[in-house]
Amino acid sequence: MQRVFVLGAGMTTFGPQPDVEVHELARRAVWEALGSTGLPPQVFRSRPTMAFAGHAYQGPCFAQKTLMKIGLQGLPMINVENACASGSTAVIGAAAMIRAGEAELAIAFGAEKLTRPGGGFLPIVADDLESAMGRVMPAAFAMQAQLHMERHGTTREQMAMVAVKNRRHGALNPRCHFREEVTVEQVLASPSIAEPLTRLACCPVSDGAAAVVLAGEAAVRSLGLQPGVELVGHGLVSGERTPFGIVDDHSEMSIRAARLAYERAGLGPADVDLCEMHDPFTIAELIHYEDLGFCAPGEGGAYVQSGRAAIGGGGVAVSPSGGLMSKGHPLGATGVAQVAEMFWQLRGEAGARQVPGARVGLTHTVGGGVTRLEAGASAVMIFRAL
Amino acid sequence: MSTEAAASTASTASTASAAAAAARVPIRPDLFVERAGAAPALVGSRDRETGQVFFPAEVMNPSTMREGTLERHEFDGAGRLVAWTVIGRGLPGFDSPYALGTIALDAGPGFIGQLHEWRGKTLRPGMRVRLAIARIKAEKDGTEIVGPKFVPVED
Repeated sequence: MQRVFVLGAGMTTFGPQPDVEVHELARRAVWEALGSTGLPPQVFRSRPTMAFAGHAYQGPCFAQKTLMKIGLQGLPMINVENACASGSTAVIGAAAMIRAGEAELAIAFGAEKLTRPGGGFLPIVADDLESAMGRVMPAAFAMQAQLHMERHGTTREQMAMVAVKNRRHGALNPRCHFREEVTVEQVLASPSIAEPLTRLACCPVSDGAAAVVLAGEAAVRSLGLQPGVELVGHGLVSGERTPFGIVDDHSEMSIRAARLAYERAGLGPADVDLCEMHDPFTIAELIHYEDLGFCAPGEGGAYVQSGRAAIGGGGVAVSPSGGLMSKGHPLGATGVAQVAEMFWQLRGEAGARQVPGARVGLTHTVGGGVTRLEAGASAVMIFRAL
Repeated sequence: MSTEAAASTASTASTASAAAAAARVPIRPDLFVERAGAAPALVGSRDRETGQVFFPAEVMNPSTMREGTLERHEFDGAGRLVAWTVIGRGLPGFDSPYALGTIALDAGPGFIGQLHEWRGKTLRPGMRVRLAIARIKAEKDGTEIVGPKFVPVED
């Protein structure tokens, strides 16, 4: 089986992009990623290359419509939908093709345009019963929060500290939707979205695109490349049937995805220096500290309060990019942007938000509200600096 | 008359009355039954071999992975409140604010649905709820979309 390396990354600024069409957003991210490899773009036509595109709402043949703009057509392209985990799934699919020898190089990208005048929730999926009856995403996470508070004594202040930390990180990242820091008091005093979650406890709805370029060891050798980052393990699972969907005080599917990724990487939570985590709502990050093994079950609140999840805090630096909370959450782009951040961090190119001594990084995404399933997908990937 | 035939008659009657009113439409035709003078019921499916109840109804048993063992099953929709939240500003057509609850139905399944007649009540974990068929949302033309909601029952 081929080892899989990350050769390049690109990403648009996330946030409202009313004047840029979504395929053009995606093209900009792909073009930056291709350029960052140092390879001439013709290489992706002459060597066996595959493309995977993740998105949730952008219509058919998204990869084809994007890549034809830069003269990449005719190669195998796979369009991927796994809700919020579409982008992560695209990267995992691309890596699997390289590992299997189906391609030497792969372009994995994702994009979404979601902003509308006036803002609001993500579109409700009419074919999902609970969604059609009003179970918007913040509501499901609000009930998670209620259970975590009730069972583990987690406080509103501790949840707010997630937003404070991620907005502080995001202030250092010019590609974020939100670049202003916030305080615990501001988070708690912002308007209620779904009690106990306030507006500043929720990630923004954003537009954006991200792309990464992957290569197998054969391509790396024959092209004389020196990749700085290797994908050493991954776990992709879908949700089991659960009586209450995602409403629980932990994410069983994230635990399973992380276990698979750790096993494949031969690493454990103690080896992880940084994590790009799925934090659409503050409570999710606290729960996922526990799911991914960064702290014991029930101790997520104490973990963020200790400061260990911040850049340079002495624990796992969680979402140094600013996370979904600052960057925004253009569904298809989200997971790919996490991998792009890992590429920059593990090569020491993350500028003001660089995590000191970053050697091992983990990305984590959860996607999709489905009645009677915990959720649609959970994807974990582990990367190592070479 | 078999249970199934009776339910089918009730369902037809319910559809007919909804059509006559022309402004009250079930969110899905297969979730519940309403009968004059009786409490509403949820419609799910039950495995005649294992007794397991599913709501909404399944087409086959996903636990045993067997086909042909499920039958239509009506039940009262009573249960307990596991968690809840209040949505400050709903999507277009939804009342604002509205409350959602995670419900452990006595019959076995769980469900996340809107609470009904919840204002002014002190909600608490484990609180009893009963089924009501009421407005989920309204269409732009005023049509009420109705479906199962859960009324918190104070001691």
